[in-house]
Amino acid sequence: MNSLVCISKTPETTAKISFNDNNSQFDTEGVQFIMNPYDEWYALVRALEAKEQHGGEVTVINVGPASNDVVIRKALAIGADKAVRVDTEANDAFQVASEIANYAKTGNFDLIYLGKETIDYNGAELGAMIAELLDIAYISFASKMEVDGNVAKIERDIEGGIEVVEVQTPFVISAAKGLAEQRIPNMRGIMMAKRKPLEVVPSSSVQAKVSVKEYKLPEMKSGVKLVDPDNMDELVRLLSEEAKVI
Amino acid sequence: MPNIFSSIENIRFNIFELHKIQDILNSEYYQDHDEESLDMVLSSVMDVAEKDMYPVFREMDEKPAYYEDGKVIIHPAVDKMLKIATDNGWLGSHFDYDDGGSRVPMMLSGAASYIMACANNNVGGYIGLTAGAANLIITFGTQELKDLYVPKMLSGDWTGTMALTEPQAGSSLSDITTKAIPQEDGSYKIVGQKIFISGGDGPNVDNIIHLTLARIEGAPAGTKGISLFVVPKNRISADGSLEDNDVITAGDFQKMGQKGYSTVHLSYGEKNNCHGWMVGVENRGLAHMFQMMNGARLDVGLTAAGVATAAYYHSLQYAKERPQGRKLSKDGTKDVSQQQTTIINHPDVRRMLLLQKSVIEGAFSLITECYKLEDQERILEGEAKEEAHLLLELLTPMAKTYPAEMGQVAITNGLQIYGGYGFCTEFPLQQYYRDIRIMSLYEGTTGIQSLDLLGRKVTMQNGRAMQILTQRISETMAASASYDDLKPYAAKLQAKLEMVQEVMTYLLPFAMKGDYEKYLADASIFMQMASNIVIAWQWLKMGVAAKEILLTKSKVGLASSFYESKIETMKYYYKYELPKVDACKEILTNPEDVTLSKSAEANILFS
Repeated sequence: MNSLVCISKTPETTAKISFNDNNSQFDTEGVQFIMNPYDEWYALVRALEAKEQHGGEVTVINVGPASNDVVIRKALAIGADKAVRVDTEANDAFQVASEIANYAKTGNFDLIYLGKETIDYNGAELGAMIAELLDIAYISFASKMEVDGNVAKIERDIEGGIEVVEVQTPFVISAAKGLAEQRIPNMRGIMMAKRKPLEVVPSSSVQAKVSVKEYKLPEMKSGVKLVDPDNMDELVRLLSEEAKVI
Repeated sequence: MPNIFSSIENIRFNIFELHKIQDILNSEYYQDHDEESLDMVLSSVMDVAEKDMYPVFREMDEKPAYYEDGKVIIHPAVDKMLKIATDNGWLGSHFDYDDGGSRVPMMLSGAASYIMACANNNVGGYIGLTAGAANLIITFGTQELKDLYVPKMLSGDWTGTMALTEPQAGSSLSDITTKAIPQEDGSYKIVGQKIFISGGDGPNVDNIIHLTLARIEGAPAGTKGISLFVVPKNRISADGSLEDNDVITAGDFQKMGQKGYSTVHLSYGEKNNCHGWMVGVENRGLAHMFQMMNGARLDVGLTAAGVATAAYYHSLQYAKERPQGRKLSKDGTKDVSQQQTTIINHPDVRRMLLLQKSVIEGAFSLITECYKLEDQERILEGEAKEEAHLLLELLTPMAKTYPAEMGQVAITNGLQIYGGYGFCTEFPLQQYYRDIRIMSLYEGTTGIQSLDLLGRKVTMQNGRAMQILTQRISETMAASASYDDLKPYAAKLQAKLEMVQEVMTYLLPFAMKGDYEKYLADASIFMQMASNIVIAWQWLKMGVAAKEILLTKSKVGLASSFYESKIETMKYYYKYELPKVDACKEILTNPEDVTLSKSAEANILFS
């Protein structure tokens, strides 16, 4: 079973977010970047499990500049066999999806994995776009998968419960919590990662369709109010009149 | 949410920017590693520290290791961590490939241990001692011993300990009496008692390998008659199975801190059926053991720095959140109609936080310096190698003692920031306060480290190590001369260095005329003085590195405020800590004898 795993680079979850150029550019000074956790913890690890169970090869793909190689190497250290980076600065999800779909057409992938969303822009658009561009099925928010031959039985998280679906390969799957358990790269994997192939391919010159004009940060939350434990009336008044939660 | 026990940014700064691990990676020996891959190791360790170690830190204190039916029961998190450490290749990662390691530089391996110590200081000892014991067998043992023991230890199937102390022989190892009786098959029967054996029982493993000091029958008295033995809890039969080796856990020690880390009393050969196998050369056991002890001393310093680091980040968070009191207005009054301010805005609280920050970051920098010297000792040749060795020898007692002693002061200040809550078991500072107390006791008390520093290290090779240290400090001062605002701090450091020279000029004649008791009477004060200056050197180094980065912007990974905070903390250290050197000098050069027995017998002093 050959898998393609799409990985993104996102700011570390504790990074302080600020913008420049009239709030149209994300300011990266002092920001540490990581692999998008949904891609790493669930999508990549499930692909590795599938390889361990059924054989095949796991390829990771990223669309971005050379500075993204750090997270790509981590994917290789965790266990991916090889990596591809499409060398371009993408500006919207369509551009990224098109680059990945164009690359996927050149290979023979049974499954294309990605996280259910990235933790920075939370678009959750990519999976559907890739599937559409490749004209294959798309299963989103998957929290469990069993594969038997070329048929996969998948549990999806839906509002208030679980939906169980069946699908034939090839298909695109977006990974939610539960699909796999996080793996950390071990020493051997880290040292091997440097020797695994990381192919850099040129962009297929797809143009973005959407451009960002401005980012707005949420309003600052008001400070904490401490209420004397003997003054429960005041606590009830605050919850009722100010917080409006009761 | 960032974790509350450490800072990956500060660790990265130390390893990559301040102490420049790239210098080490440029060597042929370490060529298989690069900064990117080593950073990945740090991130992995931090992941595990956050998910598996810190969450059980309080619980391991509340449910201590205990003795029952001849064995010690410990928290299951230890077994889980041992498995994680071995599965991921962390245990013994600094060993050579042929010995089952990954040739990871000690700088990196030390940083990984530091993260674990910050997260939960009850756990790292089991891993560190197993690696240390395996390393002793690798260095001094026969191939047969290596093949029998090391793979099982690195796989985590077996753990290791160091067994030195006996009921009558603690700091004075020359008085150990555990016997080793030669047998025809080349083994030795071991009979004796060992106490305070950290990790001596508890992990759910098939075997525990005790690297044990004992005296072969007829050996010379004192340290020159001590040999080193591998004494497994279960010995390996001819068919490879394990059989009981008559090493009994006679009990455990219930302690004020580090309660999750077992500390046991071992009894060897009660049925006259305990066998050991000699490691290295007969009667050179203590010298061999010093390899493990020196490593363990750095480990203890590192752990102390880790415990104090965690305490600092807890108290910092508390100070940012706790509203109490109001800022004074210009006329010196408070406006009670205004909202209270958080206590981090009070200068005295800031002073206590800066004290902690200066201690923990200074200590971690010094220990990283030591690990770099250890790496350099491995890759350099000739005079440069010898210099690295001598400087490491000189710095090791300080790298053990400063974090252990000043870490206590730092945590006391952290606890103070919590006010009365700091005294309550509901809050974590009291646990850190108790946990760190052992650090100045085990692996050589502060008194022993101080005697080692002044009695052996300062004087070895006619003061060569001190000359090398002075040279290195001078190089940092020269580098600081590029920045006008750092020059005053370099000048202050130079003045304190000259005080050390004055002290040595006063003290050395006592040693030269054989009055060693007088020479060494205030060794602990000398330790305070020397450590203070060495940490000031580290802070000037940090100041220079921060300046360079701020001016060149050669790295963009960390925010400018991170580097500015380094310079501000350096200023704190030079204003509040470095002046204490003057008091040490006054004590050390004061001719009045107060503690020496010849001037005042104990019964007069304490009537």
